Amino acid sequence: MATTHAVETAAAGDTAKVNRKDLWQSFWRLVFASQLGWNYERMQSVGYCYSILPILKKTHPDPEDFKEAFITNLNFFNTNPVVGFPFILGAHAALEEAGASLDTTEGLKVGLMGPLAGVGDTLVWALYNSIIFSIGAGMALQGNILGPLLVVLLVFFPYNLVRYWQFFGAYRQGVNILTSYGAGAIARLTELATIVGLIVVGGFAPSIINVKTPLTLSTSAVVNGEPVTTTVAVQQQLDAILPYMLPILTLGLAYWLLKRGWSPVRVILVLVILGFLTGALGIFGG
Amino acid sequence: MSPIVAAIVLGLWAYIGFYDALAPNFIMAARPLIAGTVAGLIVGNVQMGMLVGGTLELMALGVYTYGGATVPDYQSGAILGTYFGNLTNFETGLALAIPAALLLTQVDILNRFLNFVFVHRADAYAEAGDAKGFERMMVLFSHVIWGLSRGLPVFLAIAFGEGLVQAVSNFFNTYPWINKGIATVGGMLPALGFAMLLKIMPVGKYPAFLILGFVLFAYLKIPLLGIAIAAVAVALLYQGLKYRTEEEVA
Repeated sequence: MATTHAVETAAAGDTAKVNRKDLWQSFWRLVFASQLGWNYERMQSVGYCYSILPILKKTHPDPEDFKEAFITNLNFFNTNPVVGFPFILGAHAALEEAGASLDTTEGLKVGLMGPLAGVGDTLVWALYNSIIFSIGAGMALQGNILGPLLVVLLVFFPYNLVRYWQFFGAYRQGVNILTSYGAGAIARLTELATIVGLIVVGGFAPSIINVKTPLTLSTSAVVNGEPVTTTVAVQQQLDAILPYMLPILTLGLAYWLLKRGWSPVRVILVLVILGFLTGALGIFGG
Repeated sequence: MSPIVAAIVLGLWAYIGFYDALAPNFIMAARPLIAGTVAGLIVGNVQMGMLVGGTLELMALGVYTYGGATVPDYQSGAILGTYFGNLTNFETGLALAIPAALLLTQVDILNRFLNFVFVHRADAYAEAGDAKGFERMMVLFSHVIWGLSRGLPVFLAIAFGEGLVQAVSNFFNTYPWINKGIATVGGMLPALGFAMLLKIMPVGKYPAFLILGFVLFAYLKIPLLGIAIAAVAVALLYQGLKYRTEEEVA
């Protein structure tokens, strides 16, 4: 049914011209509503549908046609809202204008949302945000208001520029989008993000996870007839074997539990119980 | 500021802050650093806001809702911690902020579940071809459950929590091991964020890079920004070499 629809639109000629106003409307909806109504069932679906709707109104003038496109675009959708969502929306708008079938546009969405979520989550949340927020929080803890202010500036301008470039860039690339930004380029970008992400996690994790032990070992011995007590800090011994051993073990435990299919909430529970007991008993400390 | 006024203003800040996290992401207002700093400005003690927010931020670094997972509500924790820290002291504020953030994860799960009503309403509008009705729902209602899931607990805790918080604070002071326990929890919690990240990354395929990052920090003491810059350089080098070799072979 979707194929016939595409043929009809193509036959009808260039009646479905999307103008600048429609594109901007779609862009603003993405900015102000991308994840509104997010839910477990279909995640970002309503936010996506709301964002593409100004385009669909133009490219599907026939009410029955429009209804079908409206329903189809409420399908499950989820990707990164900053890097990914704008790109897919822009490319989708271009495909709509070219009279693509609903099968094609759904294929675009489903095909790109997973890989781009991986790239976006790694680059934006894990990498960029961890860096700017660790610096900003460090300044804030020294009582410097420039810390939070710097973070706000480093979020507001880059995020909006990146969304703008993706949306209008992907729209201009038009139907070529699938070939020029095809699987190869996305795989390469994913690999780049993965490598950077792993190095950063390897460095950040031990610096931010804070687990130490205040335990000491006392040994009493009689030297030359005098009782001598030597006290050894366990933490020093651990550091001599491997620095940041306890943070790494904590991370290893959390990772292992998640890999076993535990939900983050259950892992939190384990960390809370473990941390509270060991902290209260004086085995570990922050 | 009377408690009820503070409850309304900070409750609104929690609502608006979470709206920002849902879509505009203009200032990442649901991050504890921002949520706490602005809460500090509101209660007239920006230093307290930065202290509580900054401390929670370091705990929450790398903790994001990957794929829609529920994580501790550090935003509400930072707002409440700042408010009660201003009334008492920083230690008490932080000791309250962490359990608050953890308890409110339950509210987040409920909220993400309840939001299914919007999908079903949207389906009905689509069946009727009623774009106007759908758009009205999006503008007026689609943020309400999300916003209230943050705003309401903050409002209630501040409006009615002062007596309780005083009692809790006294209790903490009587039994210092409780504070020690909470502080240790705070040190361990960041492990969750990094573990979630590692789970979505192919660690087994590239273990060398994880080790490299660790060595840069633990042995060479390079600051975080330096590690990030080195990471980009290493990734570019790796890809440059890898794809050049492939092209030469081809």
